[in-house]
Amino acid sequence: MIRFNLNGRWIESSEIDPNCTILKFLRTNLKQVDVKEGCAAGDCGACTIMLGQMTEHGIEYQTLNACIALMANVHDRYLLTSSGIGRAGKLHPAQQALVDCHGSQCGFCTPGFVMSMANLQQNACKAPGHIPDVAEIHEALSGNLCRCTGYRPIIEAAQRMHELPQQNLEYISLRSGVQSFDPRDAEQPLLEANGRRLFMPESEAQLKALLALYPHARLWAGGTDAGLEITQRFTQFDTIICVNRVAELTRCSEPGQDADDQLWLGACVTFSQAEKLLAESFPSFAQLLHRIGSRQIRNMGTLGGNIANASPIGDTPPVFFALDAILEIDGIHGHREVAIGDFYLGYKQTVLQPGEYLRAVRIPKLKATEHLWLHKVSKRYDDDISAVMFALYLSVEGGVISSARLACGGMAATPKLAEKTNAALSGKHFAVSSFEQAAAFIDQDYQPISDVRASDQYRLQVTRNLLIKAFHDMTTAQGDAA
Amino acid sequence: MTFTSSRVTPWAERRQRPAKGKSGKELAHESAEKHVLGTAVYIDDMPELAGTLHAVVGKSSISCGLITKLDLAAVWASPGVVDVVTLDDVPGETDIGPVYKGDLIFADGRVDFHGQPLFAVVAESFDQAKRAALQAQVEYQQEEPILSVEQALQQNSFVNPAHTMQKGDAVSALASAPRQLHGQLYVRGQEQFYLETQISYAIPGEDDGMQVYCSTQHPSEVQKLVAEVLDIPLSLVTVEVRRMGGGFGGKETQAAPWACIAAVCANRLQRPVKMRLDRQDDMVLTGKRHDFLNRYQLGINDDGKILAADIELAGFCGYTADLSDAIVDRAMFHVDNAYNLHDTRVIGHRCRTNTVSNTAFRGFGGPQGMIFAECMLDDIARAVGKDPLDVRKLNLYQDGDSTHYGQPIENYILPEIIDTLEADCDYRQRRAEITELNRTNPWKKRGLALTPVRFGISFTLQFLNQAGALVHVYTDGSVHLSHGGTEMGQGLYTKVAQVVANEFNIDIDMVRVAATTTDKVPNTSPTAASSGSDLNGKAAQNACQIIKSRLVVFAEQHFGVNASDVRFDNNHVVITKDGAEQWLAFSDFVDLAYRNRISLSAAGFYSTPKIHYDRDTASGRPFFYYAMGAACAEVEIDTLTGEYKVLRTDILHDVGTSLNPAIDIGQIEGGFVQGMGWLTTEELLWDGQGRLSSASAATYKIPTSVDVPEHFSVRLFGRPNAEETIYHSKAVGEPPLMHGIAVWCALRDAVASVADYKVSPQLDTPATPERVLNAVMAMQSLQAGG
Repeated sequence: MIRFNLNGRWIESSEIDPNCTILKFLRTNLKQVDVKEGCAAGDCGACTIMLGQMTEHGIEYQTLNACIALMANVHDRYLLTSSGIGRAGKLHPAQQALVDCHGSQCGFCTPGFVMSMANLQQNACKAPGHIPDVAEIHEALSGNLCRCTGYRPIIEAAQRMHELPQQNLEYISLRSGVQSFDPRDAEQPLLEANGRRLFMPESEAQLKALLALYPHARLWAGGTDAGLEITQRFTQFDTIICVNRVAELTRCSEPGQDADDQLWLGACVTFSQAEKLLAESFPSFAQLLHRIGSRQIRNMGTLGGNIANASPIGDTPPVFFALDAILEIDGIHGHREVAIGDFYLGYKQTVLQPGEYLRAVRIPKLKATEHLWLHKVSKRYDDDISAVMFALYLSVEGGVISSARLACGGMAATPKLAEKTNAALSGKHFAVSSFEQAAAFIDQDYQPISDVRASDQYRLQVTRNLLIKAFHDMTTAQGDAA
Repeated sequence: MTFTSSRVTPWAERRQRPAKGKSGKELAHESAEKHVLGTAVYIDDMPELAGTLHAVVGKSSISCGLITKLDLAAVWASPGVVDVVTLDDVPGETDIGPVYKGDLIFADGRVDFHGQPLFAVVAESFDQAKRAALQAQVEYQQEEPILSVEQALQQNSFVNPAHTMQKGDAVSALASAPRQLHGQLYVRGQEQFYLETQISYAIPGEDDGMQVYCSTQHPSEVQKLVAEVLDIPLSLVTVEVRRMGGGFGGKETQAAPWACIAAVCANRLQRPVKMRLDRQDDMVLTGKRHDFLNRYQLGINDDGKILAADIELAGFCGYTADLSDAIVDRAMFHVDNAYNLHDTRVIGHRCRTNTVSNTAFRGFGGPQGMIFAECMLDDIARAVGKDPLDVRKLNLYQDGDSTHYGQPIENYILPEIIDTLEADCDYRQRRAEITELNRTNPWKKRGLALTPVRFGISFTLQFLNQAGALVHVYTDGSVHLSHGGTEMGQGLYTKVAQVVANEFNIDIDMVRVAATTTDKVPNTSPTAASSGSDLNGKAAQNACQIIKSRLVVFAEQHFGVNASDVRFDNNHVVITKDGAEQWLAFSDFVDLAYRNRISLSAAGFYSTPKIHYDRDTASGRPFFYYAMGAACAEVEIDTLTGEYKVLRTDILHDVGTSLNPAIDIGQIEGGFVQGMGWLTTEELLWDGQGRLSSASAATYKIPTSVDVPEHFSVRLFGRPNAEETIYHSKAVGEPPLMHGIAVWCALRDAVASVADYKVSPQLDTPATPERVLNAVMAMQSLQAGG
């Protein structure tokens, strides 16, 4: 049985298929049709909702794509949709600003934009005095596609809504009060229907107990990729274990583990959380995260999911390769640690055994002599998948490259180190000629394929050129070198 | 929850101020509040009747060949399945080709494109139908598919014969010209990517009739095709559309198949059937903007003036004709864009390929012709070593010229638009700065381009240039408006309501726009060709004028005055008698008329004057007038990766006297960004087997908010239309899409800087980072070689 608050109304339901998405439940079961389906793949944002969690600071909301998120995610949460955020017969400021700025044409994407903007406004409500700038607005809207307006009036509305009287949406969510939840036996299914079940453990002990019973269960972290199995391939999973509420996995530092020289990141830390955590020690990495998926996707997707789903085009694995990250694995066979270089066995294959899960990733902090230069190449700047993800770590001492680790995504069946290129760089002077010579080895390190994102030739050429660009940016210090 | 509106404003207050929301006002979209609340109802949002079923089609997994086995037993056995429907189950016509025949509702023994519908399965839920459709056992005898324009040209594979337009003698003029140039450009197509995918909801009624809710730009055609597949009279089919979640041409002909399938299923089962395509199915099953392979030979003089042009355009039509004949024609009509090509020959090929049948998309072939004109002008500029803008200005038409299809050039305001924009956006100064910047920066290069748009307004199929409207005035003064146009976000309902408010001089909130439905206004044309407000605005005006003339006659008799003593003013009817004005609230006046047995309802009609075109001689006046404009774009490219950013765009666009400046500017901004997407990030790709590989939002990339230039200025050129259009406005839907061409020209300009502007780079579209990098490298090797 799950219980959630929809626009101020508590709803309880037990007969929900574990594979049911939030969007499906809202539209089909509740006839809550203000949430639209545009792509059912987390790409267009027409289904954007706000999902709030009670914290010591009140309810904290974030946006997500209802189309690919499982219903389990709403348990004990406060959900808001566009028809529910007006107050006292008036439109919410985001809505009023959109009307005033002529920000809707066909109107189909509009409820999704409203929710992304309302979340931005809500954040501003919680941090008085902070008015989002254009960059923040683009980030908030990065997962909302509009085919009619050309966005200009929507961007204007997102600026002008802050001039209207603010409205704290907690009032709406709390209209019917806070409901207390009895302690739940997390080893019992949260949802069970049609012979299928979903578990949502809250501790590693519970997770391990469940894995002992269901070693072949589908592990579900953010689900931004796994959700597509349901909505695009119409798969039905018999047993799902959601891991994103396991307390130990959502931490960003582990007592005793988080030494000064390294960062410990729980596998279920979302990209949005990581943006903040990495900003200080790894600014170029934090910067890259802004280009992974959209705000909605970054609120759901996790670092561990990005690593463990073993996609050749995940954006963070090449960075973890460049940083020589250590992965912590746990499960029914006990704890073990694996260097990321040993984690991938082949296309979509890892060393994870049934009954095991990825617990955390550890990365060493950079010294003054160490540099991390990252570049993502895609057709579209925001919310696109890499043609090439380029991650270069360099240690430069006394004008000499003492160590180089270039790793790329999109260049092979797995994320992969450019071993020959790295060897060619190591020990060389930090000079453009060293980079030019090393670039000649890219073709030996990678034999990429041609696909819908780029041709093999472009992938090779741009990777060679990025080595030159990396040198150029690092020397002018205007690039994103750390 | 109710929201405050001005609906309660008392008549006395309405008298004190001018009526609100009349023509020319920046009124919000009539559904704006419902859009932001999410309460605007799209077809999938309608409450479903009890017993509603869901239909999904089973698709072919090859591009070309014979079906040797179609075993549907496992489909039938799948959970929730109620019915499986094949071609044999269609009671009436099975060919649903809209203009030309050839589009079968389901494949008839052979397959002609990857994904072609083979059958439909009807189930209790959408998911059950989706899963069931995958269970079919199909075997094929494969044939070699034709998958490219080049292949089709080689094998003489065409959906219709080639067509030629000529002016003078291009061949001999070419030969005698001082200089000859030749070139070619491959222009890729574009997915409409309306946010609301195709959907129909069919509800069986009495006497074998069918009510169909369909997200379509062409309800009358859906009505006709549904009637034909069911073998019933048109009068038994009603098609209704309140709004679409975007159309862009993609719902002109290609909304009909899903309506027909839903109707056949609903008819068989006598239960309501909904057919919604999910995004993947929508992208695979429906046609897109045509790819074009364009070639030219030009004769020019040393100044860069065009003396002769021999042009060949070849459109990628897919497996049937659909609207391709008219689309290739429109590419031919617009291959001159703004320029006098003098002696001209244009040949247009309609290539048949084993791909989904391509269809209308905003611009309807015009963009693919027009970009080629701009490509030619840039090539000339590089050849003669001039600024492309100077070459453009040198070749502009002048009043008194005539096009390669014989339409005279008149009221040609484009030179003035170009000069105004050139000055307003500091073109010359920025050109100098950019040239200097490019000389000093080794990695980043900037590009600048100012390009015009001249787009012909009218359906080139002449009989479509007609429209109807139905206006009822009720006794409380509220007005009910229906017309044949459909609302897809372009603000047509708002504009036509403004016309009605204007005619009666009443507040806009007294005008209720009803859903477009075939039983209110019959035999309508598609809402397409940018014609919506031109045609339906005039038809609604006509209906209002009929009612007004009756009211004036009534007032003359009732009050004993002359017609000139009766005026409609600020929500009132004012009778002037013996020098004294009597103000009657509009509601009181129409109630009085009703009590005196005056009809308060009228059907209006309009047909566009002046147009005529003889396709046999390829000459005439196909267009009532031209809509014009110009755009200036600045970009910056990275010569190491090919990545780029559009930094700035300035647009000056001609909408005549605007009916609603806010809506018109919205159309221009949205059109530009859509055109920019077409030429930059949106790449339609098929694999070697003819399967669409860019079949999802994850692989097909329309612009996002950050792609919009930070400096983005759109202004209206406010000159009234010289033609007698509705309040001298001009159509706005399609023309601004072609302002996106400025971005492509600017990218090409930036690439050309790599070889010091001496060579015109080959840059096929879309200009993805990959294509830009390849073009840069070609320039670099020329520089190295030269």
